[in-house]
Amino acid sequence: MKCLLIASESAEVLFHWTDLEYQRNIQEQYGASQEEGEELPAFEDILSTLFAPIIISYSTMEDSYTSFTTDNNHIYVLHQFDECLYIAVNGDGEEKEDDLRRKMYVMKKMIEVMFGMVTLSGTLLRKELRPQDTEQRIRLWKHLQNLIETYSHLRENDQSFLVEAVERLIHPMLCEQCIEFLERRLVQQLNSSVERAGEEVLHAFILVHTKLLAFYSSRNASILTTSDLLALIIMAQNMYPSNVDLDDQSPEVTSMAEDSLHALEISPPDPSTPRRVFLDISLKDGLYPMMPHSMYCLPLWPGITLVLLTKIPTSAVALSVYKYLEDFDKLEKRLREGQGSSAAARSPLNMQDVRCKLDKFVKALGPSELQVLEFKNRAFAKNGPGFNKDLIPWCKKMKTQLCGIYRQCFLIDSTDFPQRLSPGLQEGAQAMMQEKLMDWKDFLLVKSKRNITMVSYPRNFPGLVHFICVDRSSGQMIAPSLSITERTTSELGKGPVARFIKSKVWGLVRTTRRYLQKGYSTVTLRDGDFYFCYFLWFENESGYKLDSVDIPVLPDDSPPIGTLACDYYKLLRYYSKNHKGETVKCYELLTVHLGVIPTEIILQHCRQLASKLWEPSRNPLL
Amino acid sequence: MAELMPPDTRRCTYFFLYDGSKVRGEGDPTRQGICYFYPEETPLDKQELMCGQLAGVSRCVSELSSSPVHTLRLRRCKFAIHMMEDFFWALGCSTEVPTVSVCELLDHLINIFCFYNGPIRQSYQLNSKETLAAQWARYLSHVQSGPSEIYNIFRCLRTVDSTTVDPLLLLKAALILQACQRCPLVLTGCILFRGRVVSTQMSPQLTMKVMVQESETYTKSQRSNGASTSCSLGAPVSSTAVFLTTSELQYLQSTPVNKNVSPFSPPLLDAPPKKTRLSRTLSDTPSTESEPPRLQTPQKLSFSPHMSESDDSFSPAPSQSSADSPNTSPQPTRSPLPNGGHAVETEHKLSHHHGFKSNGGSSVFEENQCLNGDDVNGDAARRAVFDLQGDDSGNEQSRDAQMVVGDSGVCFRKAESKHPPPPFTCALDSLEESPLIPKMLYMHRVNGLVLALLVEHGFMSDAASMEEVYHSSLASLNGLEAHLRSIAAATPGTSGQYTFAHYDCIQSTLTTNVSGRSGGAPEHPFVRATSLLHSHFCDTETLQEAIIRNAGVAVYGTRSVAQVTYFQQHSGSLRNSGIPNQQDSAFSLPSKARHRLLKHGVNLL
Repeated sequence: MKCLLIASESAEVLFHWTDLEYQRNIQEQYGASQEEGEELPAFEDILSTLFAPIIISYSTMEDSYTSFTTDNNHIYVLHQFDECLYIAVNGDGEEKEDDLRRKMYVMKKMIEVMFGMVTLSGTLLRKELRPQDTEQRIRLWKHLQNLIETYSHLRENDQSFLVEAVERLIHPMLCEQCIEFLERRLVQQLNSSVERAGEEVLHAFILVHTKLLAFYSSRNASILTTSDLLALIIMAQNMYPSNVDLDDQSPEVTSMAEDSLHALEISPPDPSTPRRVFLDISLKDGLYPMMPHSMYCLPLWPGITLVLLTKIPTSAVALSVYKYLEDFDKLEKRLREGQGSSAAARSPLNMQDVRCKLDKFVKALGPSELQVLEFKNRAFAKNGPGFNKDLIPWCKKMKTQLCGIYRQCFLIDSTDFPQRLSPGLQEGAQAMMQEKLMDWKDFLLVKSKRNITMVSYPRNFPGLVHFICVDRSSGQMIAPSLSITERTTSELGKGPVARFIKSKVWGLVRTTRRYLQKGYSTVTLRDGDFYFCYFLWFENESGYKLDSVDIPVLPDDSPPIGTLACDYYKLLRYYSKNHKGETVKCYELLTVHLGVIPTEIILQHCRQLASKLWEPSRNPLL
Repeated sequence: MAELMPPDTRRCTYFFLYDGSKVRGEGDPTRQGICYFYPEETPLDKQELMCGQLAGVSRCVSELSSSPVHTLRLRRCKFAIHMMEDFFWALGCSTEVPTVSVCELLDHLINIFCFYNGPIRQSYQLNSKETLAAQWARYLSHVQSGPSEIYNIFRCLRTVDSTTVDPLLLLKAALILQACQRCPLVLTGCILFRGRVVSTQMSPQLTMKVMVQESETYTKSQRSNGASTSCSLGAPVSSTAVFLTTSELQYLQSTPVNKNVSPFSPPLLDAPPKKTRLSRTLSDTPSTESEPPRLQTPQKLSFSPHMSESDDSFSPAPSQSSADSPNTSPQPTRSPLPNGGHAVETEHKLSHHHGFKSNGGSSVFEENQCLNGDDVNGDAARRAVFDLQGDDSGNEQSRDAQMVVGDSGVCFRKAESKHPPPPFTCALDSLEESPLIPKMLYMHRVNGLVLALLVEHGFMSDAASMEEVYHSSLASLNGLEAHLRSIAAATPGTSGQYTFAHYDCIQSTLTTNVSGRSGGAPEHPFVRATSLLHSHFCDTETLQEAIIRNAGVAVYGTRSVAQVTYFQQHSGSLRNSGIPNQQDSAFSLPSKARHRLLKHGVNLL
């Protein structure tokens, strides 16, 4: 009983995803009010009709709704992003309010990765999410629906998506070899080829299922954020749902995966066509969000994938568009604040500069693309209205136009001009990597399921059942495998006990996030037969433990604590800075112990894990 | 109430009841459906917006989910919602109050309303919106009367401080109640002192409901008496009709052993009741209740057994009493109930007071009938309504009947006609509402002390029983009152070393040193942590113990089946890095709590 709906303010359905149960439920609801023999309208129309009162009421209220619950434990969570209202519903108790909110934020993140700055214009985004052409719409929605399902599956089963940090395959020697191979052989070869059509490989990484075996970034590449990397892993998983996974899944998940395979049949993608993805980059002069990249997902074997991220030749346009968007945004804000003459006196000066650059930009783009004349007439003409509130609609118009240009450059052209690394080049890369990893293939697939094992626990940490340690600065996590599937067995065994532990770990993460949201960075709980601990702390670059600081207390409807949708920990690290320029590292440790172990021993274990885990030489578990 | 609440601890930001059945047509204005809206000064169009939108959106959601909406949240406010037929209740609180507490509070409010007014739909058929709005306002102000914000989290019975009150007094109170129960028409009872429970035989929930009326009459008596105790009316006896749910009634009818829910169980409570009169029983105990040192009330009466045997000399009669009635302009009208089909007096606010007057030992019967200043027409049926000697089931309409004991004597007045009233059932209004059974709440006030008894209707008409109960308990009540009054109302102040809150889930009592004084600002971090922990404990059945810590505050929470305790230690610097550390003072909280709280009677071992 799950649903995610994106609607415009006028209750037009921009996207929907429902599981079969919810769809049936909604159809029954609607059918009850219908006369017999009448045919049901399209599902999206039914949704629109039934949810319309909520959507309209939402925009009527001054202080908007954030959630509803009903006596039979249905949960509704609502959030508006710009002009899109997201509504997430759960009726089977499998998701809590924060899961639903997280799902909405992740959905928004995926849409940003797919549509980039087009998301900044409500009008354009509406058109993009709801294409006029029915077939196109079905295809797009199916793709987004698959992404949600892939994400939900990962969040429910994969510890790295539970805590939203990347998990590395722990095998330092192989990892090092692969990075070297990526750097010296693969990327170098690709970037020096004439068949690369102006693209430049910036990042290359190898995934074994969801775990990272090796990651290489070229020298002039900006750092790939954890948020983007996680989003890319979801996309890669969505493209190549591992067969190994299929064997392991419970029947319902299998059917879901088959469903997504079925979807692929509807629109078979040309495997050599890259996906356009929009990622954040940081340059010397600042952060630039949603810059266009091409993503190549090259399957090596089922479960093992090589991913290449390239910079496209026209990406400079995106930089300019973003700068102008920012300028118009600032201008609009200033006009809106209406600071009177003083602000108006300052702004034309700034705007003259913008005007010159804009002129050059327009010239470079070619005619007919950007209609700046009218804006200029209004803003700069001697006897024109000048800079006042009347200019606000024109600012908006300019922003929409800029987003339109961006859309034209980065969302449409890929089909007309297949701008990409040549298929031959891609195949070459694939073959090189396959050759390199051929002997490791089976080892890697097994290793990915048993990355860290619990073998050394009983001796060194008697009573320790499970732990997760996260380095929030690098966005990486370490945790023993928690495989509960039939085929693979972890030390916890399989079946109900392992499943129980898993549910406890998932619940613990939810609980500690709740406390973290309200400003509590240390939590210990005695729950049933277990004792849970959670610690969050900061260190400076040299490993010195910083004094704990007051963590912000956030409202209930704030973005979810995590990294995938919004990087909460970046904010935290900022808070804990004593002085500018200081690098602050942030760590989290979660442990599960048997309740019979004395608290002093438990704390001692935590202490040991916290200080040793990130030093490979001293890590007792490797 | 003894303590005044500081304005900023107001737990509720909105409360309204909206009747959707009044707004059916396109043209019906939303305001027609607004039965009550708090804060009352809210502009009408805002009231309409809130009621219309919240009720509308909740209807839509409950249709989608085939289940009524339970909670609704806005960015800055969370609402508990109750939907029943066309009625829509919403109680909005700050987002810091645990959701579970907001929902409990709304249920509690509705329960109080039904306890005093009967089924909701019927109440609104029988009474004007304005009359009932005043009731809602009264209940709402009562439930918000906790002295500090910690009371926003726990719905609790406030009791007299067991550490300062002599256990013997508690025993005495329990004995008074037991003695009253010798009258078969008395179901159960409790003794309250200035808004706090001294002893109760009822469930905490029922006691809480009874306390609404107690605090109401207390305020009234304070107002009418001023500060002086030299009033001529003295200790008033009053009664009001109340409605019990079937489960409450079942509980009352269960074995007495299981019913003992006194906050402080006196060890001798199970002692076999003696055959002697209560007054004698108590005077046998070496206490000073017969001549309390500070008893200055002029109504001091010497009770002798012969008084209670002169049953035949009492006859009740309605008396003129409109001045005392809190309810304005009751207009007796007859409205045919659509469902029941029989006419019932719609005005239940008619109050008639009975004065006990004695003339040199012998009673004088005054017959005086007045319906709150209204003229009395000869309608027999209506008169029957006020007949205190009618049969058991028939007298619920005389809800605010009050008997006033005068200092000069005792007199029951009596209505002339004794027509049996029409049989009355309370479940007639709706199938969805659980049936409510009418009973009477009898209250005997001695200054700040109140003996409240839930009684059968027959009790009010059975002068013999009434007199028996009254006389057998009066001396003891006087004594008890004098003792309790002499004990300084010492609320435990914040000791400076630590803050704690200990909630007994069975007895619904809260022990805490959170005072709420000076705005409660220094205590706020503790309350905030407690609020979070409380939600967590409610969500997670298996959770037994928790420590949460931020840079400045560490709070420990622990619970057993019957109780939950929260503790914060103030001394010592908490500053550290947050990395796991055995020396961290946060982890010594459990042992500190165990030691420190012992002296507050909290045993965590």
